[in-house]
Amino acid sequence: MASNFGFEQIEDSQICVVMVGLPARGKSLIAQKIVRYLKWLSVNAKSFNVGSYRRADTPHPTADFFDTENVEGERLRRAAAEAAVNDMLRWFEHEGGHVGILDATNSTRSRRAWIEERCKSKGYDVMFVESKCDDEELIMNNILEVKTTSPDYIGQDPEVAARDFRDRIRNYEKVYETIDEPHLTYVKLINVSSQVIINQVSNYLQTRIIYFTMNLHITPRSIWLSRHGESEFNVLGKLGGDAGLSPRGMSYAEALPGLVKASVGVKDITLWTSTMKRTIQTTKHLTYPKKQWKALDELDAGVCDGLTYEEIEKKYPEDFRARDDDKYNYRYQGGESYRDVVIRLEPIIMEMERGSDIMVVTHQAILRCIYAYFMNVPQDQSPWMEIPLHTVIKLTPRAYGTQEERFRANIPAVSTFRAKYTSANMGGETAKRVKPPVAGAQANGVITINDDVETAPQKARAVSVVESLGLNGDKTVVG
Amino acid sequence: MAQAAVDWFDFHADYEYSTDDVPVPRLRRRSNVNIDAIHDFPVDCEMAPAQLYSTESGRLFHSGKIAIVTVGLPARGKTHVSVALSRYLRWLGVKTHAFHLGDYRRAHMGPGNDVPHDYFFVNASPASVKLRQTILQKCRFDLYHFLNHEMGQVAIYDAVNPTAEGRRQLSKEFLKHEIQTIFIESYVDDPKIIEQNVRSVKISSPDYQGWNPNDAVQDYIRRMGAKIPHFETMDERELNYIKMSNAGESIIVNNCRFGYLPNRIVFYLMNLHIKSRQTYFARSGVSTGEDSYKADGLLCDEGESYSQRLCNALLEHRKKEREEFIRQGGSDEELKPLTVWTSTRRRTVQTAAHLQERGFKVKQRPQMSQLNPGNSEMTEEEIKTHYPTDWDKHQLDPYHHRFPRGESYHDLAVRMEPIILELEREKNDLLIVAHESVLRVLYGYLMACSTSDIPSLEFPRNEIVEILPESYNNKAKRIPIPHTDTKGAYVP
Repeated sequence: MASNFGFEQIEDSQICVVMVGLPARGKSLIAQKIVRYLKWLSVNAKSFNVGSYRRADTPHPTADFFDTENVEGERLRRAAAEAAVNDMLRWFEHEGGHVGILDATNSTRSRRAWIEERCKSKGYDVMFVESKCDDEELIMNNILEVKTTSPDYIGQDPEVAARDFRDRIRNYEKVYETIDEPHLTYVKLINVSSQVIINQVSNYLQTRIIYFTMNLHITPRSIWLSRHGESEFNVLGKLGGDAGLSPRGMSYAEALPGLVKASVGVKDITLWTSTMKRTIQTTKHLTYPKKQWKALDELDAGVCDGLTYEEIEKKYPEDFRARDDDKYNYRYQGGESYRDVVIRLEPIIMEMERGSDIMVVTHQAILRCIYAYFMNVPQDQSPWMEIPLHTVIKLTPRAYGTQEERFRANIPAVSTFRAKYTSANMGGETAKRVKPPVAGAQANGVITINDDVETAPQKARAVSVVESLGLNGDKTVVG
Repeated sequence: MAQAAVDWFDFHADYEYSTDDVPVPRLRRRSNVNIDAIHDFPVDCEMAPAQLYSTESGRLFHSGKIAIVTVGLPARGKTHVSVALSRYLRWLGVKTHAFHLGDYRRAHMGPGNDVPHDYFFVNASPASVKLRQTILQKCRFDLYHFLNHEMGQVAIYDAVNPTAEGRRQLSKEFLKHEIQTIFIESYVDDPKIIEQNVRSVKISSPDYQGWNPNDAVQDYIRRMGAKIPHFETMDERELNYIKMSNAGESIIVNNCRFGYLPNRIVFYLMNLHIKSRQTYFARSGVSTGEDSYKADGLLCDEGESYSQRLCNALLEHRKKEREEFIRQGGSDEELKPLTVWTSTRRRTVQTAAHLQERGFKVKQRPQMSQLNPGNSEMTEEEIKTHYPTDWDKHQLDPYHHRFPRGESYHDLAVRMEPIILELEREKNDLLIVAHESVLRVLYGYLMACSTSDIPSLEFPRNEIVEILPESYNNKAKRIPIPHTDTKGAYVP
């Protein structure tokens, strides 16, 4: 069993992170991102959204439900908060939770004192994260987002919903007390990290969480991911190396600008590649500002670099088997494991969180890790995901989930996907098709596929077939 | 001040002036691992101990050139912050160097002379202003040279920087050279902290020899008040700054959103405090059976008696040090409490048992378990026979090489980053009982050792290594454990 040199064994400390802030300040977004980041680092984290507990009783409240004068409303909201806190404490105790996030407004001193007392009495650390924002534009953006996707307003007229939501916020504003209790551990994010105030941090895990939170922002943006075009090594079924693109890969490079433009529009995006030839060649025709990151280079296969899977199976049979048993932790001799890659990718992930529209052109293992981070894919599944060549994946993180869209350039390529415990001969196979669109999925603006792509690669035109693929086949994807 | 003068001579010896007056840095390689290498210029080709990858330009994370400028009155811990931050950044592979304006000032005035009394005043006399400019020029010149011609990435400019206007100008000037500026202010209004700082750092100068320590502290504080009457705490919203209050109690970060490095720096600063404390390293006792990685052996009898002797030696030493300190005029405050860290390996926990019985707090840290030797867990002869190519590769680069299924020191260093940050967080004196590979990495961090030295650092069982933080660097000392040989066995 591979040694568990994981982040999760830092302390046996169990931390309750309490979100604080008025509605539409990005609290749920921040909470979900923290959970996602910690899980990516193998820390057991979970978010407890008081709103969803409240929704069980009162699914479609109007603004005056939130008026503090409304006794019945107060009672129900208090009950929801208690239920959430109880669940969280139970999760800490019985399910080995490390970081629990209580996602609610928690905007009064008395509420915070109550939560602190409950958690401390059981021996858990408490840390408050306040999102304070008075930038009208940011708040409006958030309101628009919430009113279209929040369960509270399903089926309502958007105008009515917006007005009601603003009234709800006004009720909260009446009793809002920003954090300034000097004995509490808190981090206050003002106008999404233009200023950050950190108070009384007491252990490493808290600083790690704060460090991550400081990189976040709530401005909407998208992330485009793509592998390099088909490389000569891909065609031969070989791993690693620094080969150039095959002719089909070259067509992908030529098709890419059109494909990307169709999705991005006239905006300027940042473009990142690795330092290996094949990714640089793939982005040759793109005119966006480019940056090369060594951290985006493919997983180092060590002694297996340059061999095909069949050759590896013959030469290192035990290793071959051991890798399939625990692909995330298995490290190639003289090379790396997925776990190592995750550690190596940390600066990239931080920069991606900090940035706005970004396109990353990189390699299979790296993309699996990045995709797993944004789409919350657990570690035992992430190394087995299929990320086909010649496809651009667009991820749009939203408050209640991340949307995914895939754009195929219909340029055939070999499949570099190998299922568990097989040693499929990879070279020369025709393109393994991505799952066909599920019934009910939207397909906006389908453009016809040019059929003579195969015979005349240099004439391949950019085609984009929009398929909204969810992880479970539905449109909105888990966040 | 005697100590500063010594530093000046060492520091200036780094440059030779060629005929066209462009200083050529002379890289001094210290292979003496008992001296803190934090002030050496980083050697170009070598990778730092915890560096994840290297780039052609030598700069990492696409963060460009950064100048970190300290702000704060004397005795606020600015130098401590600059040195600690350089240590951490260098550890990560970021080419960093600290430039202390105080050094340049003392070097310019020469030993024994002080600057004119209105030197720090806002409306100083023209002569003082000119003097200030000259000294500033020299320091800035070296700083630019480091960033522009030596592939430096972070330059730490350690000075008082008391006025808002001055800081704005500085930021503009750096921007013209394409250098981003981050200000770090150490703001202290807790008089106890100021006093403790003054006591530990400032009154050991020859000026205060023979003085009653309390009087010396008060005199220093008064002098500083007169010298720098005008100080504006940071509040310039358009600049990037980090304001640490009362040694890390609260931190305000303004605007530092321009890259990965600033956030990493804030992350480190959140874990830093300016109180000094001692760190001790000791090996665990010998266990029954082989010292196998997989077997988690208990201490044998020899190991038991070793741990007893270790406990006694350490406590004796601390008592003696305290008496010496009091005799030399230090305060007679109680000794700082001692915390013990062990890994989860049973022999380390058992080694610390005697200290635990005496009431000291012992904490087990899972990431401090030793380097996984993988398939190389055998005698040298056996490795040479079974894995000859690996053996050769290992000899070439023992720091980065991994035996099959094993870890390298580099992996260990990366794995131990949380420990290193917790090390900085710890306010009590600290004893670390662990396996030799772990001690090597931690010692390497505290003494800024290079990757070629770390794998061969020695920690025989008849010594406790003590690391003392001083104002500019760390000092290592070896404390003998009486009646013990290098393997921990009893010697009558």
